[in-house]
Amino acid sequence: MAKWDYDAPILEIENLSISFFTRAGEIPAVMDFSCTVERGEAMGLVGESGCGKSTVALGVMQYLGKNGRIVGGSIKYKGRDLSLMSQEELRRLRGSEIAMIYQEPMASLNPAMKIGRQLMEVPLIHEKAGRREARRTALEMVEAVRLPDPERVLDAYPHQLSGGQQQRIVIAMALMSKPSLLILDEPTTALDVTVEAGVVDLVNALAEDFGTSMLFISHNLGLVLEVCDRLSVMYSGETVETGSIEDVFDRMRHPYTQGLFRSIPLPGADKTARPLVAIPGQFPLPHERPPGCNFGPRCNHFQPGRCDAQEVPTFPVPGDDRHETRCLRWQEIDWEAEPERDKGAAAIEPGEIVLKVDDLRKYYEVAANRMFGGEKRVVKANESISFEAREAETLAIVGESGCGKSTLAKVLLGLETASAGKADLGDVDLAHVEVEDRDARTVGSIQMVFQNPFDTLNPSHSVGAQITRALEKFGVGDGPEDRERRMLELLDVVKLPREFARRMPRQLSGGQKQRIGIARAFAGDARVVVADEPVSALDVSVQAAVTDLLTDIQRQRRTTMLFISHDLSVVRYLADRVLVMYLGHVVEIGTTDQVFSPPYHPYTEALLSAVPIADTRVKQRHIVLEGEIPSAMNPPSGCPFQTRCHRKVEVPGDLCEREVPPLRTLPTGNAVKCHLAQDILDRMEPVIELAGTTERA
Amino acid sequence: MEPLGWGAIFWQVFLQFTPVWIALALIFVVSIRFKRRLNLYGRLFDSPVGMLGLALVLFWIMTAIMADLVAMYPALDQFSGMKNARPGAFLPGGDDQAFLFGGDNLGRDVFSRMVYGSQTVLAIAPVATIFAFMVGITLGLPAGYYAGRIDTVLSFLANLVLAFPVILLFYLLVTPEMRDTPIPTVLAGVLFVFPVIFLVTLYYSRYQARPDVLWKYLLAVLVPGLYLYLGLAYGLVPLGPLEMTPNILNIFVAVVFVNSPTVFRIVRGLALDIKTRDYVSAAQTRGEGPWYIMLWEILPNVRGPLIVDFCLRLGYTTILLGTLGFFGLGVSPESPDWGMTINEGRRLLSIYPHPALPPALALITLVLGLNLLADGLREQSLKD
Repeated sequence: MAKWDYDAPILEIENLSISFFTRAGEIPAVMDFSCTVERGEAMGLVGESGCGKSTVALGVMQYLGKNGRIVGGSIKYKGRDLSLMSQEELRRLRGSEIAMIYQEPMASLNPAMKIGRQLMEVPLIHEKAGRREARRTALEMVEAVRLPDPERVLDAYPHQLSGGQQQRIVIAMALMSKPSLLILDEPTTALDVTVEAGVVDLVNALAEDFGTSMLFISHNLGLVLEVCDRLSVMYSGETVETGSIEDVFDRMRHPYTQGLFRSIPLPGADKTARPLVAIPGQFPLPHERPPGCNFGPRCNHFQPGRCDAQEVPTFPVPGDDRHETRCLRWQEIDWEAEPERDKGAAAIEPGEIVLKVDDLRKYYEVAANRMFGGEKRVVKANESISFEAREAETLAIVGESGCGKSTLAKVLLGLETASAGKADLGDVDLAHVEVEDRDARTVGSIQMVFQNPFDTLNPSHSVGAQITRALEKFGVGDGPEDRERRMLELLDVVKLPREFARRMPRQLSGGQKQRIGIARAFAGDARVVVADEPVSALDVSVQAAVTDLLTDIQRQRRTTMLFISHDLSVVRYLADRVLVMYLGHVVEIGTTDQVFSPPYHPYTEALLSAVPIADTRVKQRHIVLEGEIPSAMNPPSGCPFQTRCHRKVEVPGDLCEREVPPLRTLPTGNAVKCHLAQDILDRMEPVIELAGTTERA
Repeated sequence: MEPLGWGAIFWQVFLQFTPVWIALALIFVVSIRFKRRLNLYGRLFDSPVGMLGLALVLFWIMTAIMADLVAMYPALDQFSGMKNARPGAFLPGGDDQAFLFGGDNLGRDVFSRMVYGSQTVLAIAPVATIFAFMVGITLGLPAGYYAGRIDTVLSFLANLVLAFPVILLFYLLVTPEMRDTPIPTVLAGVLFVFPVIFLVTLYYSRYQARPDVLWKYLLAVLVPGLYLYLGLAYGLVPLGPLEMTPNILNIFVAVVFVNSPTVFRIVRGLALDIKTRDYVSAAQTRGEGPWYIMLWEILPNVRGPLIVDFCLRLGYTTILLGTLGFFGLGVSPESPDWGMTINEGRRLLSIYPHPALPPALALITLVLGLNLLADGLREQSLKD
């Protein structure tokens, strides 16, 4: 292919500035952005939402909409300036040389067209190929993205595939025209961890096979480490630091980059001894950027009169390969210095057992036809779940979508009743009493923090009214005045100004909304708080602060927390004990140390290997699970994990397919639901290993 | 006296609407001055389409309110010698007030009748639409929220009503024979009880735990609500100016009956969507009752699409009333109702087009205004 024989840089962006023009005037989205992507190189763009990383990608595609315009600088693709090209040339380029993959696969697929026809369009239009040839290329591509049964996939409609399969098709479609540049905008954010690992693996392999250059946009530093060669950290429309992965990860020279690394839970972080360090303050809105350094107001090394005096240019870091930082003081700051951490939070001794769940089951009956009955099927959302949670303890519930963790939460909160089994909060039965039949105290004593901050508050009521209403329902306070006072106190507890009581949710940022959600959950002196991925939808720099707040309140009030998450890094940091679920079953339970070190349940092992860790010293064993999570409507026989298990071969006979293994306690203290013989379990090696023993800031 | 020329006619019409222009100007000046504080209504003034729509609608509302100032002659008075008079003709008696749009075949002033006709439309259409919304919301929310069997049954009933040809349904409901059967009363009894149920549930679900506040609200709803209900549906108590003739009552019931299934379906769909939000789960986990969730958590968040639909539906109802009048199924035979006036003018259309055109244009501008207003609202509400 002629178009791949090109040795100069594929993409050169120089001093790019992009602005959006709205009724409120010009809003600069990207300022003075430069980067070069060599042939076969993967460039990562990292930053929080609103930092302009997606705008850069859209700028490269020249898709800025009618409001957006490139106001300065140039984008050169293979030496040709994109802004000088005609619409016709651009269209040809977009389809065949530059391809883009978005976060949501269904947004890129036409739901009314079969996969085959959608894939065939690319060669039919761009290469003027014949139908048969196009079909053959499509088939090859589907094979290349490692989808099982490619013929069947070509004849399927998008909705008949799972999310991971859809994303693979989108990747296949992008690669159909053998592009020189692939832009991936958070391609795996909507996917589960083990599926994500498969897709990342695939992207890496394909890029190597085809020699494609990549622009990889993500907020996840761990993923960038796995995929990219170089990265560019963006903050509020500017690149603050750029360089090779090793340089930026190990010798960062910008306070924001350092802040980011300190606010994510890397191995070695610990909530009592080495807590995360949150970046103070908030991300500035595009029209409220400070003078001088954009990061200034949130920076510990800020010097008035200097950092806010002029626009900060970028400085090359000598000795490193194209490593640049946009910090005036980069040579003065002691980059190895330990940050100030809040000390004094002693480890908490868990108290009495607060919540006792015993053999809890939740089955749904699904009828084929609502009105006339029809064939009934049973969905086993929760199968024989038993655990105990103590006062002031954090129990993490880990699993991917469809594992039944949300159903468990629903049963505990009384939104559903259990089919069998027991769940007792003190001496109150939770399993079979719906929330409407519970008394106010019980309702207040088990509450929930929801995942999506933009959804957790009702947009039509003021913040204060929502907290007051919760107090009223929990029977707290006597009379409206008293509740008003308590509401204001709760705002103090979650460290928000009291004026916020009168604000509407849309006037709050994501982190602030989540704080209100936390205030609401603790309004009734909750004994148990179920936190469903409370920080996963927040920006990295805000996550640490909200996590801190949550654990602080929990510590002070000695509340039991059930922390639902799929992010094992956070779980390792926060949890005292961990419960791993798969397809409604508890497959492993134990203390955090037990679960995170061998022997593992094979599923825990795979999960651990799939989590991207943003640390160059970490050596991770790679286990890519085959296939997709089976549907709970149609679970596999025997062990629920047997269809994807990489260690099934080590169990003699067809035991895994016949029998559900019992939950057995290992000598190490954790319990696993697995048929593997003890000696195989004993031989397991750790998935995550730190290369050096020295801990880094 | 010589009849007025066209230029003079339009100038005279313009002057005749002076009170309306003043009111419109006042409303626009005040609204634009404070538009930043007026939420969605204020943002309407950023959209030319929305402003045009609002102006047209307000024009007719103001005309209806100030009809006595705008019109020159009573709507029903017949003047000898003015039968089918040309536009701009003067009364033979030497009065200096011309018949601006001429006279109809009974010698009545077309212009004045058009002005008074706006009262009929604007008295029935908004109230009937509000009632239809109350019925649709009260049934649509549980259908969407509970789903399952309730939804199946209610949706089936809604589809049943929707499947019935609207005009035929109207003929059935509005014909004099029907008036003698108990059906309209029963329907009115059923449909009119919904607003009362709606408001009582609204306040009860919210202030259940606070009896001191609750009884005030309930009293404020139930006393006038039940009084109106008994008066409107069964004629048991005197209502004074609010009294409805059996004819109007039938139209009213028919309009509500036909409109509510569509509203039901919209609300049901929106509720299905909103109930999956986390704030609904949050309300459930703090033990809120289903009606609190439906009315205080879900309903406020579907107001955007509902307001837009309200405007569109108002236009639809206006046309429906016109159609009814055209078929002679409307209000009393003499009334200046636009649809009926168009029908009367239709017979002589080829000879005298002037009696039919003004009410037709009035109907068009009002409905156009409502549709533009809906467009403007939709456009502005999406801009958040």
